[in-house]
Amino acid sequence: MNWMRFQDALFHRAPAALAVHILMVLISVVVAVVISVPLGVVLTRPRFRRYGFIVLNVLNMMQTIPGLAIVALAMPLLGLGLKPTIVALVVQGLLPIARNTIAGLYGVNADVKEAALGMGMPAKKILYEVELPLAMPIILAGIRTSAVYVVSVGTLAAYIGGGGLGDLILTGLNMFWSEFLIVGAGLGAVLAIALDRALAYLEYRITPPGMSSE
Amino acid sequence: MIELREVTKVYKGQTVPAVDRLSLKIPEGETCVFVGPSGCGKSTTLRMINRMIEPTSGTILINNKDIRESDPDRLRMGIGYVIQQIGLLPHRTVAENIAIVPRLYGWPKEKIRKRVDELLELIGLDPETTRDKYPSQLSGGQMQRVGVARAMAVDPPIMLMDEPFGAVDPIARNYLQDEFLRLQREMRKTICFVTHDINEAIKMGDRIAIFNKGRLVQYGTPHEILTRPANEFVSDFIGYDRVVKKLGLYRVADLAGPAGCVAREGELPEIGRLMREKESDVAFLVDAHGRPCGFLTTEDIGGMGDEISPQSLMQKALGRRGAFAQREMVLRDALSLMLEYDTEYLGVLNGGDLAGVITLSAIRKHSCRKEGE
Repeated sequence: MNWMRFQDALFHRAPAALAVHILMVLISVVVAVVISVPLGVVLTRPRFRRYGFIVLNVLNMMQTIPGLAIVALAMPLLGLGLKPTIVALVVQGLLPIARNTIAGLYGVNADVKEAALGMGMPAKKILYEVELPLAMPIILAGIRTSAVYVVSVGTLAAYIGGGGLGDLILTGLNMFWSEFLIVGAGLGAVLAIALDRALAYLEYRITPPGMSSE
Repeated sequence: MIELREVTKVYKGQTVPAVDRLSLKIPEGETCVFVGPSGCGKSTTLRMINRMIEPTSGTILINNKDIRESDPDRLRMGIGYVIQQIGLLPHRTVAENIAIVPRLYGWPKEKIRKRVDELLELIGLDPETTRDKYPSQLSGGQMQRVGVARAMAVDPPIMLMDEPFGAVDPIARNYLQDEFLRLQREMRKTICFVTHDINEAIKMGDRIAIFNKGRLVQYGTPHEILTRPANEFVSDFIGYDRVVKKLGLYRVADLAGPAGCVAREGELPEIGRLMREKESDVAFLVDAHGRPCGFLTTEDIGGMGDEISPQSLMQKALGRRGAFAQREMVLRDALSLMLEYDTEYLGVLNGGDLAGVITLSAIRKHSCRKEGE
């Protein structure tokens, strides 16, 4: 263990790498949310309900492709750098959010929806004022799963020049510098846990009052 | 007024219609109860009125206007809707729940706030303490009352209620029924009320529609249904106690006669003469304040010439201290009292004062006369 090298890794290389990693994770999760939540909403509407099964299966299959394979597949199509990385991460992040959105929306008490409809609430208002708020804790749980997952897969981005904490790990592996490995992997873990906790707090805050007992 | 013409509903993938060529008119301001066993089509019929379910064929008119001409959401905003499961939004407070339809109408905030408080008072909940509670903090009966208040928020002329009191305990249900009848006497809304409980139907309905297997078996006032059941299904559904049930429709005041002979304690020795003079079979004993405390019948006094001590007469009279019925009491309860006290007479009270007498023979004649009608 070389103390100088550890300091170099932690104070000179890590800040930039961490920033890139966070950026990449945030963009990927936001894009995944923007795609998955509306997808989940559409797939629970009566008109498209029958496609839900197919779409979920496709997403499931995509999820089984190893992260490294997706990163490798993205490179020939999109070249090197952050762009293919983000695409690969989005693909990996879609499923948990879409699945939880669908589960959350189906889980909304049918009597509540029936009462809202019976009072003359338009379908759109029911979605925004009844279904989504009540499904929100479950959707957020999906986002949490997805975010943690994307943090870990994100370290693979280094292979295609995406940067991030993976750079430190790769350097460590190539040079047999365990200090770089420890800093890269350690910060990755810390980032995953921090993100998970932050989203858990958000989930707690967003759970509708009067429902927390459930 | 709600009118159904030849309405049929066949659910997808089923050959037997859930509702079969149903025609029905519900006059304005009346409560019409749809009653029948499960799966008889009563709920389907109710839900067709606010287009939660579209009929396969037939026409439904509200105030002579075909409901298919209105936008479903607009139509529903104008019809109060209460379901058994209530369906309060769990993430909204009581006030917000009641405000849903007023908000759809775009009422100003201040008007909504006033209306919410007014409704909470109306249903017997304290606005100050209830307004900001969440549904999970209320009891079942309170939730159901909030559900009713929410349906009445914009004072819709029509209300649809699908087993609204089905999920609360019997005591709360009885209370809610009485409350609702009191409100309805003032509001005179046109109400469709679904229940599977014939007793509730008799209690709540101005008219009762009895359903079986998607068809309307009988439609009439509770009196008509109880007096002349259309067929075996109806009489089975009502049960063997239909005459007693019918007694629940009338009040003691309907059959009460004048008290006839009223006596004080001091007049007991000559009670027989007094009764003969007044040609009365029963003599009421009143205390010094004029309050009734019992009564005697000709049987108690015995045959002419027999002497019975005033003390034992007094005791007999006082034994019937409880054999009095308020004018508002239903005949069924009065009959029960008579059986309990083993007497053919009950004193009728108006508050604390003696107002007359009701006899078993009057009840018997009443039931029997109506039978033959």
